[in-house]
Amino acid sequence: MKNMWKKCGWLTMGLACLLCLGNAAATAFADGQTDAYNYSYWGEAVRSPAAYEATRIVTGTELKIGTFKEPNDMHVTADERVYVLDSGNSRIVELDRELKLIRVIDSFDHDGKKDYFKNPQGLYVSVNGQLLVADSDHQRVVHLDAQGQLIKIVDQPQSDLLKADFQFKPLRVVMDKGERIYVMAEGVFDGFMEFNSDGSFASFIGANRVSVDPVEYLWKRFATRQQRSQMVMFTPTEFTNMDIDEEGFIYATSGDLKGLPIKKLNAQGADILRREGYYPPQGDLLYTNEKGPSRLVDVDVGDSDMYSVLDAKMGRVFTYNGDGYLLHMFGGIGNRLGQFNTPVSLERAGDRMLVLDKALGEITVFQTTEYGRTLYEAVRSYFNGDEEGSAASFAKAADMNANLEYAYAGIGKALLRQKDYAQSAQYFKRSMEREGYSKAFLLFRKELLREHFSWIMSGLFLIVAVLVTVSIVRRQRRGTTNAGIK
Amino acid sequence: MQASSRQLIQYPLHLIFHPFDGYWELKYERNQRTTLMIALAILGLLTVTTILQAQYSGFLVNFNNPKRLNSLLEIVYVIVPVLFWCIANWSLTTLMDGEGKFSEIFMSTCFALVPLILIQFPWIWLSLVISGQETAFYYFFNMAATVWTVYLLFVGNMTVHQYTPAKTVLTMLLTLVAMAFMAFLCLLFFSLVQQIVSFAATIYQELVLRG
Repeated sequence: MKNMWKKCGWLTMGLACLLCLGNAAATAFADGQTDAYNYSYWGEAVRSPAAYEATRIVTGTELKIGTFKEPNDMHVTADERVYVLDSGNSRIVELDRELKLIRVIDSFDHDGKKDYFKNPQGLYVSVNGQLLVADSDHQRVVHLDAQGQLIKIVDQPQSDLLKADFQFKPLRVVMDKGERIYVMAEGVFDGFMEFNSDGSFASFIGANRVSVDPVEYLWKRFATRQQRSQMVMFTPTEFTNMDIDEEGFIYATSGDLKGLPIKKLNAQGADILRREGYYPPQGDLLYTNEKGPSRLVDVDVGDSDMYSVLDAKMGRVFTYNGDGYLLHMFGGIGNRLGQFNTPVSLERAGDRMLVLDKALGEITVFQTTEYGRTLYEAVRSYFNGDEEGSAASFAKAADMNANLEYAYAGIGKALLRQKDYAQSAQYFKRSMEREGYSKAFLLFRKELLREHFSWIMSGLFLIVAVLVTVSIVRRQRRGTTNAGIK
Repeated sequence: MQASSRQLIQYPLHLIFHPFDGYWELKYERNQRTTLMIALAILGLLTVTTILQAQYSGFLVNFNNPKRLNSLLEIVYVIVPVLFWCIANWSLTTLMDGEGKFSEIFMSTCFALVPLILIQFPWIWLSLVISGQETAFYYFFNMAATVWTVYLLFVGNMTVHQYTPAKTVLTMLLTLVAMAFMAFLCLLFFSLVQQIVSFAATIYQELVLRG
């Protein structure tokens, strides 16, 4: 009877513990910053503290220049000046780092005459302040200098690579340090159009692969030629946006739903994005069947190889580091501050993030939280080779978010260098890094064996000696018994 | 034949190294009852090994999510394929002039699983102390165990049914096909039962709510 009570006691205690845990989880759910999550090694969404919080909204009315009408693109320079492409009003609005109005560019001097934009879709500002405008309905790209004076106009390219009836409708544009211009144009499936610095067409780079639906392919095999001509052609997916980093690599997003929606293109157009994280960067891993995967519409490259992508479907921003680990996400579709209606453009201004909403015509400003800053600090120090510093920051980040498996690898790497192999292996195991774990474990094992070499060797000798004696004794005994029988 | 406890262990070990001999003994010479007990014990040990492997294998070779591990399911994953194999094999061989009874097929199959236990069990613990490069050995030994088992299945089938080698291979391949059929039928059956149950439940609910 007593025994049974004891058992019951254990049971109630266990239940009480479970209840406590449940309560703790409930309070964590209710603390306000609940929207943020990360994906674990197992592909589950796990809670995470917010790395960014919305602090401010900027509208055209607030700037006293009339509401933004369907703004499509935005660009922030290194000194954090913000350029907004107000497509519906065919103008470019320049703001300073405090988001105060500097000037409005709505026309430029073209051969002595005033020229205007017509429904421009894309904007890029180079390091020295030159402006590139994808003037879509005028079928040209306008290149202005920092003062707004015309440098050149790139229009309808002439090339054997293009069809005779090709209509040039640029949507997005970037320029590298060598003043080569890359244009994403409507209805072009061969990748980005590359123009030389004098405005002549050079080639296409970075075409997406064609993805073929097997069922559709089967249908096509059975169809007659006439039927086939009526069917949709297999075409590569179009890009949706692009950005260029300091080294001239183009980051591109595409509507590629099955494969790899984010690409980093080198000068040859090969995809060199590192996908060493738990999952290849693609926005949301988990989604409902009705909604489908993330539709990435913008990408922004930051420092230390970090980049962020904007998912128009769920209004979320995902930030990855150079290896492809998901660092954090924020945003959403909704009516609260920090949520969007139709997000189209994402830009980084220092550590702030700006998101442009096309339908609402407003810019939401996001400020890093303590957690976000710690995370960035860790990634930056690791990128710059400061492993000690990054380990300290990673430890701090892991304190704030125990679900951040990626942080433990950072600590493990630093411990490995400090020759604390056992601890290092444990941290690597926690972050599910098999390669790092193996390295640390191998060194740990070697150390252990070397330390206890004498014991192990004498133990082995002892065992062998015992075995040999036993077998000799047995044989002798058998020999004597056999002899006895004889 | 009196089976001493020593023999109970010795016989399966003898069989896996001398399969032709061992399976002949199994079919014609040994006490069916004790052999069946050994076979069941082997199956039990294999399930234990599989569960331990899923839970305790070293981090480098263990890709199971510990939160999702379910020992009961692991048991099902071992026993159901074995039973499927035996039933499919028996169904086929009765039509293809096989001489084996169902119990013989079951016993021969279970005995063929011995190498899996013998090799995988120690490797569960060895995998705790290996490094990344050494996982190649782990996979090699597991592969070897599988090949050995398949070879034993082959010899067992051949002896139990008194087939030629070519016919044995053919039967084994057909058995796999039959297993696929059985799996399909089972799924169909379960989904139909599910539909019927939900149909009945809906009608009951309707009646209760209206009445």
